[in-house]
Amino acid sequence: MPVIAYREALNQAMTEEMERDDRVFLMGEEVAEYDGAYKVSQGMLAKFGPRRVIDTPISESGFAGIGIGAAMVGLRPIVEFMTFSFSLVAIDQIVNNAANMRYMSGGQFTIPIVFRGSSGMAGALAATHSHRLEAWYAQIPGLTVVLPSTPADAKGLLKSAIRSDDPVVFIENEVLYADKGEVPEGEHLVPIGKADIKRAGSDVTLITYSRSLHATLAAAERLAADEGIEAEVVDLRTIRPLDLETILASVVKTHRAVIVEEDWPYCGIGAGVSDRIYRSVFDELDAPIARVAAKDAPIPYSRALESTMLPSADRVIAAVKEVLYRG
Amino acid sequence: MPIEVKMAKLSPTMESGQLVKWLVKVGDKVKEGDTLAEVQTDKAVMPMESFDDGVVAVLDVKEGDEIALGQRVLVLAKKGEDPKAVASSVGQGKAAPAKAAAAATSAAPPQAAPAHADSTLVAGNGHDSSAVAAVTASSAGGRVRSSPLARKIAGSEGIDLAQVAGSGPNGRVIRRDVEAYLAQAKASPKAAPAAAIAGAARQSKRIPHSRMRKTIADRMQKAKQAAPEIHVTVDIRMDKVVEIRETLNKRLAAEKIKLSLGDFVTKAVATALVKHPGVNASYEPDAIVEHGTVNVGIAVALEGGLIVPVLQNADRLGLREIRIGTEALAVAARSNKLTPAQMTGGTFTISNLGMYGVRQFDAILNLPEVGILAVGSVEKRPVVEGDKLVVGTIMTVTITADHRAVDGALAAEFLRSVKEFLEEPAAMLL
Repeated sequence: MPVIAYREALNQAMTEEMERDDRVFLMGEEVAEYDGAYKVSQGMLAKFGPRRVIDTPISESGFAGIGIGAAMVGLRPIVEFMTFSFSLVAIDQIVNNAANMRYMSGGQFTIPIVFRGSSGMAGALAATHSHRLEAWYAQIPGLTVVLPSTPADAKGLLKSAIRSDDPVVFIENEVLYADKGEVPEGEHLVPIGKADIKRAGSDVTLITYSRSLHATLAAAERLAADEGIEAEVVDLRTIRPLDLETILASVVKTHRAVIVEEDWPYCGIGAGVSDRIYRSVFDELDAPIARVAAKDAPIPYSRALESTMLPSADRVIAAVKEVLYRG
Repeated sequence: MPIEVKMAKLSPTMESGQLVKWLVKVGDKVKEGDTLAEVQTDKAVMPMESFDDGVVAVLDVKEGDEIALGQRVLVLAKKGEDPKAVASSVGQGKAAPAKAAAAATSAAPPQAAPAHADSTLVAGNGHDSSAVAAVTASSAGGRVRSSPLARKIAGSEGIDLAQVAGSGPNGRVIRRDVEAYLAQAKASPKAAPAAAIAGAARQSKRIPHSRMRKTIADRMQKAKQAAPEIHVTVDIRMDKVVEIRETLNKRLAAEKIKLSLGDFVTKAVATALVKHPGVNASYEPDAIVEHGTVNVGIAVALEGGLIVPVLQNADRLGLREIRIGTEALAVAARSNKLTPAQMTGGTFTISNLGMYGVRQFDAILNLPEVGILAVGSVEKRPVVEGDKLVVGTIMTVTITADHRAVDGALAAEFLRSVKEFLEEPAAMLL
């Protein structure tokens, strides 16, 4: 199986889907002439031409709205935000129009659109450019929210997202773009709404997604080597709809859970997932669910301070010991 | 409908109050605006007023009790309502849990529990707090902190979680505790049922030291290590004090002051200390310091410890002032409101266990003081008068003295003075 980077996997997914379906097109800032701010759309202008790979002005609200309109009349747009921090100015389009159009029109219009782009703390981007907005979007009925953590999932999930007849918020992570991994060629679809067990274990369930998967897996390996603790790592991949079945099966097996996320703790994904676990399998828990999240503060510009905000293997290990009642 | 009077917010930051004094009793008529009780808030002692007219049917709390905001403190029967009927109707609902608790926590005969509940109902004053206390005690014993999984396993294995020692935070019983318990039970199958029966009612508890406990432990140990003690005991006839106390209390009734026998002991001790300055002293490595003032410490028992507030210049106080001062110190001590000035400067200590029916005991020195008087109960005993056996009212007191400073003869002389002052109280006037 070829080993390619996360950004190449995304490129493959878009290219294959645009070849497969000529209603699919890409629109966003710098996606065409510049080959993408993060080179995700490299070569796509040359391949598909300016009718299907479209540079937009700096006007997120405008081109998000144009995308939604295009979807209403039968096209299948991919709208790229250079970063999801910039989607804040388009949130009315995404939440009010994309998420609700099918409902408000009584099913007359569907919105087969993908909003995609980078997000997260990517190294000295400071408070306003480091947002993790997955919890905002995941709260909205009508949206699907996907956060792939590996190149293979990035390709398989983006292809599924493009084929979805409903709006998908597809959140990449800037730090992951250069990550390499094995990616199946051609028709590789990862189903939306299915979590993936990235590491099997029996002592504790670590629930995570996106970039935090890597700190979590590192923690799991150290726990196995140093403490003999076998952690099961569940990569959510889709946070709306949530694959509760996979989560609960793991927690019922291990009786304890730690949720690891790059987002802030209050009202974050971890809060929502804990709620589901507590209400579903309360009697299976031997310890309160622990959470590792960003510190509850604006993201600092300083790289040194920023690194303390992120979930680290050390923080995950400390949380695991807490739920296992180990010193 | 009877009126339930609940604890109101008497200061802006108040979260709970302590009942200092009831100013009404069961059967009293009260009018709107009447002061029902004095309540110690976080700021001060505040009057608690009635918002209604009625007859007091039930007092739910005792003096000294801590009351949460909104907690019922008393019930008023309204005009036309029979206070006794009100008491039994409002009391019954509250007494029921006590019944259940008694049945659950002990093997009490089924009839005994309701009978107990009824008798406490009739008692009126404070009956409900005893019911509440029973519930709390049972829930403290019955509510076991445990993880949901531990409960599930215990449920399916038929284990009473109260028998399992918890190793989690705050003693939480977690899976490994239940599994360890199960493994042990399987290893000794015969012992298990017996343990189950014995362990059902109680479980071992580990109570971390409070600051007060540490201080007490430290000071008692130092006293025992540093001071060679001598104990001298004497019996004192209290007939005259008892008689005078009755007379004086009649006079003081209007002021709502009631002298205790202990107040007379305080007075006699303070007077005797003036006469024997060697007992009103401190031992220091290079000198004995005889103090110029007589400040008598009075040991007050508290939940989980004790404290010795100090009655300053006790030798200059009359019985009335001694009573008022002692009462104020005890209230402040129990509500944790003692000022540093009220806790320091003692030159001698009195420890009185008379109210527990104790005949005699030895106290441990409150260093650097050189003497502490242990006071037993005042009781009727056979006394030889001349060649006749008569009934006398006797109190036994024992001084513990630091022999580095106080020799046996001095201790005995001091006690002889105390005895003289109490057996002939008029001598204290000299």
